[in-house]
Amino acid sequence: MATPLYVGIDLGTTNSTAAAFDGEKLTLIRNAQGANLTPSVVRIDARGAVTVGDRARRLIDSDPQNTRSEFKRLMGTSQALEFAAAKLSKKPEELAAEVLKSLRKDVEQQLGVAPTCAVISVPALFELPQSAATSEAARLAGFSRVELIQEPVASALAAGWSANDEGSWLVYDLGGGTFDVSLLETRDGLLRVVGHDGDNFLGGRDFDQAIVDEVLAELLRTQGVDIRRADPRHATALRKLKRAVEEAKIELSRTDELPLLVPGAFETDNGPVDVDVVLTRARVEAACAPLVQRSINVCLRLLAAHGLEPSQLGKVVLVGGPTAMPFLRSQVQAALGAPFATDLDPMTLVAQGAALYAASSGLDGRPAASSAQPAPSGRKVWLQYPAMSSDLSPHVVGRLVEGDSGPKPALVRLVRADGGWSSPDSPLSAEGAFVLSVELVPRKPNTFRLEGMGADGKPVPLAPASFTIVQGLTLSDPPLSRSIGVALANNAVRVYFERGAPLPARRTFRQRTVEAVAKGSTGNVLRIPIVQGELEWAHLCRLVGALEIRGDQLKASLPADAEVELTLELDRGGRLSARALVPALGQVFEQVAQLQVPDATPESLQEGLTAARERLSMLRSSAFRRGAPGVVASLSQADQALAEIERDVEAARGGDADAGQKARRGLLDLDAQLEQAEAGLRWPELEETVREELAVASSWVAQFGSPAEQTLLDEAMKACERARAGRQQVELQRHLRSVRKLGNAAFYRHPSAWEWQFDSASSRVSEASDVSKAEELVQRGRRALEQQRREELRHVVEQLWRLLPEDAQERRLAHDSGVR
Amino acid sequence: MSLSEKDVFARLKENAFHVLGLRPSCTRMEVEREGQKLLAMLELGLSEAAHYDTPVGRMPRTAELVRASMATLRDPTTRLQHALWAQLPPGTPAAQVPAKEEPASWPEAPVRLGWRRPG
Repeated sequence: MATPLYVGIDLGTTNSTAAAFDGEKLTLIRNAQGANLTPSVVRIDARGAVTVGDRARRLIDSDPQNTRSEFKRLMGTSQALEFAAAKLSKKPEELAAEVLKSLRKDVEQQLGVAPTCAVISVPALFELPQSAATSEAARLAGFSRVELIQEPVASALAAGWSANDEGSWLVYDLGGGTFDVSLLETRDGLLRVVGHDGDNFLGGRDFDQAIVDEVLAELLRTQGVDIRRADPRHATALRKLKRAVEEAKIELSRTDELPLLVPGAFETDNGPVDVDVVLTRARVEAACAPLVQRSINVCLRLLAAHGLEPSQLGKVVLVGGPTAMPFLRSQVQAALGAPFATDLDPMTLVAQGAALYAASSGLDGRPAASSAQPAPSGRKVWLQYPAMSSDLSPHVVGRLVEGDSGPKPALVRLVRADGGWSSPDSPLSAEGAFVLSVELVPRKPNTFRLEGMGADGKPVPLAPASFTIVQGLTLSDPPLSRSIGVALANNAVRVYFERGAPLPARRTFRQRTVEAVAKGSTGNVLRIPIVQGELEWAHLCRLVGALEIRGDQLKASLPADAEVELTLELDRGGRLSARALVPALGQVFEQVAQLQVPDATPESLQEGLTAARERLSMLRSSAFRRGAPGVVASLSQADQALAEIERDVEAARGGDADAGQKARRGLLDLDAQLEQAEAGLRWPELEETVREELAVASSWVAQFGSPAEQTLLDEAMKACERARAGRQQVELQRHLRSVRKLGNAAFYRHPSAWEWQFDSASSRVSEASDVSKAEELVQRGRRALEQQRREELRHVVEQLWRLLPEDAQERRLAHDSGVR
Repeated sequence: MSLSEKDVFARLKENAFHVLGLRPSCTRMEVEREGQKLLAMLELGLSEAAHYDTPVGRMPRTAELVRASMATLRDPTTRLQHALWAQLPPGTPAAQVPAKEEPASWPEAPVRLGWRRPG
């Protein structure tokens, strides 16, 4: 195969798709049935034979014990899925691997080459363990290298590839199980993801479920039959009903009403019960309206976070099967106003974008033997160039490989294969390197010959002799969808990477241990929890992994207040690795434990549900007492969320693991929502705090700040005012932190700043974890103070702070963090 | 060195314009082009790209820093902040002297500024 093979895969909840790009044109891969979409369904029969796709999907109703679907929603959890006949249990990533294997085979059949690497799309709001599981699935499917791309970025890339519009636009991606929305901007051919938002547990499936609930409510109303999702007896019938509803939903986009008849659907104590109802378009729309509104709210929230009005959007790109619903389209159109991009296929856009991304990452899927240039001969050169670029004149940088024998060129030149352009002859630097700018033909793959000449002017063959750059879009480094940091023992979060940080990224900070870890003890563990989320408190963020250092791994005991240098690293697809260096012991720890979505047992869910219900009721009475109508209104949203979680917990009791995970996430979101409501009750106090702190910071910065700091403070104050006017608590607190930092910097320039801090810290000496050491420090501090040694006083205060205790309750909330 | 000086130092030494060797007036395409060139040069270990000049001295350049700088300059808000610092004349940190007349002591200030919980 002479042309490159860039493969992109959309591994969907309901369907999966593959596309290939050869540098010029995109090709959709067809499966054995000739379709572009392969249902993400796997069946394993009694003999252990695996069937994937449409053939498996046809058996999902009649043989649910051996056929599994929607496992994408369980990726990253420890939930194993049983195949009764084969007596096998498979992890979600193993089932995803079967789907990927099938797609890989389809590529081979259509294009003659089984790709060795590919780009796979994942939802933007996938948690880290879910991304890790996707990579594992690719490995199991036989891909030696894989990169992940966030689905909305992939859609944007495909949409941007086929359009020349400049400006801001929105990708509204409603898949089977997840909803993503991204705000993008194209300018000068550079595609930038400005930001994204979404709901990891809102998808077409939830629309179907809403209609099923509506049908069950009618059964109760008309026949007095109460079918509960918690009853395992009804699991099969419910699946059958859901399938019927799914088909009816599609039909109803063309007609106003439709009978839904499932004879003998449910077995009850009083005999079989038929489902015989008339579904009208109006009823279906009413059932789905809250879900559509939920998606629109996410879009509006994203726009507001970036200071945009819907009217400023150039267009909206719809992605995903459920976006075919006319009702959804009209609601989204009415709320956002911008026109839809109509010439794009919502079902295959993500796979096409993933293939384009493979090209921009230079991820050629041809196996080494077939992709290699014909027997490389000549002096070896390392080349660096963008595989795809929006720039018409990008740079190509090269360097002779050291240690390679053969004649060395004195000059190099690049010649475009069409003969339309060539670079000037460029002498090699002392390091044997060159930097040349090339000229590209727009929207084409541009192949360049690399020519070398010796000092005598004779040609010197170089390897590689040629390379290709595709002129198209440049995708800026994908941004991180949620901030990532370390939970500290005081339940605060030390943010390592802010939301929006470009990936890949790496950051190191120094933390300190809260207490000693004895050498040799297995029960004694230093735990460093890694969390993901935007809220200030660790317990409101998602725990995505933890680095644990056990006593039996230590060369020597680790004292309290020991330094730990923690490095977190994220690759382009958002995969996380962590590394802790303990300088005192010269030991490095890299084992990230618990990189798994937590289990969601019905018991733990019920416990969470009860607590949330109590908290909601207390908040409501408190809101009424204080006369806070805004908070009361926000609590009614919490009410709806609670009802939904209750339904999911019930389904989890009936054996639906996916609903259990959804309930777990829902509870976490509800917790954050209640926290916000509680903060809403404290809004007047927050406003007062902001007023005071702005005054304090202004005073310090005016006295001790630089003009640049004064300008930054002015900006931060304006941002605070905007957030205050819009009653955006999280934003307000974020800007307030900037104000504090600026005030802080200026404050410490005051000659007495450390003296005041010393007074405050020494008054708490009796609480110190090591009182005698703390008293000694206080004596040292007093001497330093008398002798006006400010630098030493500062060191003393910093050491004193580290001896002061963290609250045990806060530490427990902070996922048992052992660092500060 | 006081915390604030450290802060000023950090702002100058990691200024995105300095890292990329560009002027605050550069275009967006220049940011991309220069960033791509520097990343390629760093990947090949070329000494020419290994350092960059700032008002506070030469600093080592890394691929992470180049990527972060490109992202900073793509976003109009963060670009503005960096443009502000890129225009500061060298030697600014030394000019940070406390005012001669000390304001009255304010023991509550640290708490108000949110450093520590009240003791």
